[in-house]
Amino acid sequence: MLSIILLSVSGIASLFLGFNKSRSLLMPATLLFLLVALAVNLWDWNVPFTLSSAYNNGMMTVDKTTIVFSAILLVSALLVIPFSQNYIDRPQAQPAEYYAILLFALVGGIMMTAYDNLIMLFVGVEILSISMYVLAGSDKRNLRSTEAALKYFLMGAFATGFLLFGVALLYGATMSFSIKGIADYTNANVGNLSPLLYVGIVMVLIGVLFKVSAAPFHFWTPDVYEGSPSLFTAFMSTVVKTAGFAALYRLLAVSFTGLYDYWAMSIAVVALLTLVVGNITASHQHSFKRMMAYSGISHAGYLLIAVTAFQNTSQDAILFYSLAYSVATIAAFGVLILVADKQQGSEDFSAFNGLAKNNPFLAFVMTLAMCSLAGIPLTGGFFGKFLIFSSAFAKGGLNWLLIGAILMSAVGIYYYFKVVIAMYIREGKTEKIALTGLQQAAFVLSILLTLLLGVVPNLFADLV
Amino acid sequence: MKQYFPSDYLPLLVQFSAAAAFVVVTMIATHLLGPKRNSKVKDAAWECGIEAKGDARTPISIKYFLTAILFVLFDIEVIFMYPWAVNFKELFREMGSVIFVEMLLFMALLLAGFYYVIKKGVLKWE
Amino acid sequence: MIPEIIKTIPLNYYLFLSSTLFVIGVIGVLTRRNALIIFMSVELMLNAVNLLLTAFSAYRSDPAGQIFVFFIMAVAAAEVAVGLAIIVMMYRYMRTIDVGLMNKLKW
Repeated sequence: MLSIILLSVSGIASLFLGFNKSRSLLMPATLLFLLVALAVNLWDWNVPFTLSSAYNNGMMTVDKTTIVFSAILLVSALLVIPFSQNYIDRPQAQPAEYYAILLFALVGGIMMTAYDNLIMLFVGVEILSISMYVLAGSDKRNLRSTEAALKYFLMGAFATGFLLFGVALLYGATMSFSIKGIADYTNANVGNLSPLLYVGIVMVLIGVLFKVSAAPFHFWTPDVYEGSPSLFTAFMSTVVKTAGFAALYRLLAVSFTGLYDYWAMSIAVVALLTLVVGNITASHQHSFKRMMAYSGISHAGYLLIAVTAFQNTSQDAILFYSLAYSVATIAAFGVLILVADKQQGSEDFSAFNGLAKNNPFLAFVMTLAMCSLAGIPLTGGFFGKFLIFSSAFAKGGLNWLLIGAILMSAVGIYYYFKVVIAMYIREGKTEKIALTGLQQAAFVLSILLTLLLGVVPNLFADLV
Repeated sequence: MKQYFPSDYLPLLVQFSAAAAFVVVTMIATHLLGPKRNSKVKDAAWECGIEAKGDARTPISIKYFLTAILFVLFDIEVIFMYPWAVNFKELFREMGSVIFVEMLLFMALLLAGFYYVIKKGVLKWE
Repeated sequence: MIPEIIKTIPLNYYLFLSSTLFVIGVIGVLTRRNALIIFMSVELMLNAVNLLLTAFSAYRSDPAGQIFVFFIMAVAAAEVAVGLAIIVMMYRYMRTIDVGLMNKLKW
């Protein structure tokens, strides 16, 4: 887990870089830090499992799954950072702090993907959440941003309370914080499990589902996503979600495999509810950003289907889907940031009217992102959904959930294409938007990734 | 190991009631024995001879808030040093000087934060 | 290690006490409108957890639970710093910290 150490140090370094008068150094430095962290992260690819586990005193594991999850987080951050240009050019901006907090948030995210001990899960969740509270409220002159930060903070802290109480009960039942220790207890005492354990599982699940914004714990999401600066909404809806699902799946897969019958049904119901609430509400929105918030909720629903299925293929499906979802979401938010900047900050669908006339590239990126999110073939999103549905199908007995999910995907196509229609068919004028080289690179990379995931999915599916 | 019973706590209870009784008796006694001379001036809030005005709940400088928050942040870190200090001898025997270097590292991180705070000028009062 | 005297109070009592504290905290979060009081209720929830962890840890002679409590306290301090700053920021705009009045973003 050298990447964690590296990211922490580079976060501090970024803070001190901020004392430099020139701000132009910050973004390249942050990108460099992230690239090095990504390289260091992949460096561990062939490290024997046992060695790394001993090295971290049984606190964290480095294996291929955690490396891929961490890589997704780092790639998401790499794609988000180029779009910070407009945001940090404002006179009141504090770019060094933004980048430092982003780097610290990634530390938390990586801890959530790789924890072996519930202490690490808790610390990771909190590092990520507290960073996001700050970033959500970073637009200090804007009341909406402040309100989003306050709501996120109060709800997030509330959820943390549940997570912790659950952890305490698990500890009471099993006398261990290690997820493997909990698994040993559940395997050794089949049929004679402490009731504390059951309550503990429910509380921990509530806490984690809160963080990944699954219905009925989703109500904070639209407000927070809408009020936060778009840049950090993009980060929040990708990194936090991916890390949350990595943590959720890891906990269930390592500790509670034996109790599948106990938790599977509730997760399945939550998945269906999340899909219905997310998709139906998303189709009513006027604001593109708020629509993306509800779309984020609905994608949590798809990922929960994979968690429910709990097959050998489920983890790959979650990995694949997280990557496709993250790339597409960041591309969409990237276009939104650039367009909203030209449209006096309007984030409604109408801001996109006639975008294709003067900015065909941006319109194309947005269309591809929407296709991927909607799950149209030849994009990453399609194969993500395909993998998830096939793992649920292989499980069997989940047909009601699958039918619901497919119906909801159809609803998804309707609202994702609203913005495509606005861009190509509606009348409106947006002047030519200038892109920086990095932004172009980020867009090109996201197009390539989306198409590669969609056309040659085996390239990625066999990786883990 | 000696078996304790709830009755063993009786001395504690006696001590508690003695303490409470002393407070109550003293308060009642001063109330009854002391002379009472009330006047408007005597009842006024004491403000260095200047006439009292306004509400005590006025907004105070944000500086106090920042200082207090920073205190909370740095203050709480000491809890990680207690278990370290208590077990230091044993850990030193097991792991050698690594254990000392680790705490130095922890302190260095805190000091980096402290240095950042000073550089930012948060603690500058004027 | 652990004095037997501690165990004359059954462990269940700690469980009941901390569950009660936790539920008081939850009810506080759900019913109060003042952001500060909501925040205090959250802290009450965290402290209920601390109490529970310490009780388990003491009764089973396992120090891990107390270490977890340290982490909770440190993280809660960080949360207080950020949370109070956000509440102060809100107050400077709205001159109130009633969460019912926050309607710039529709719920």
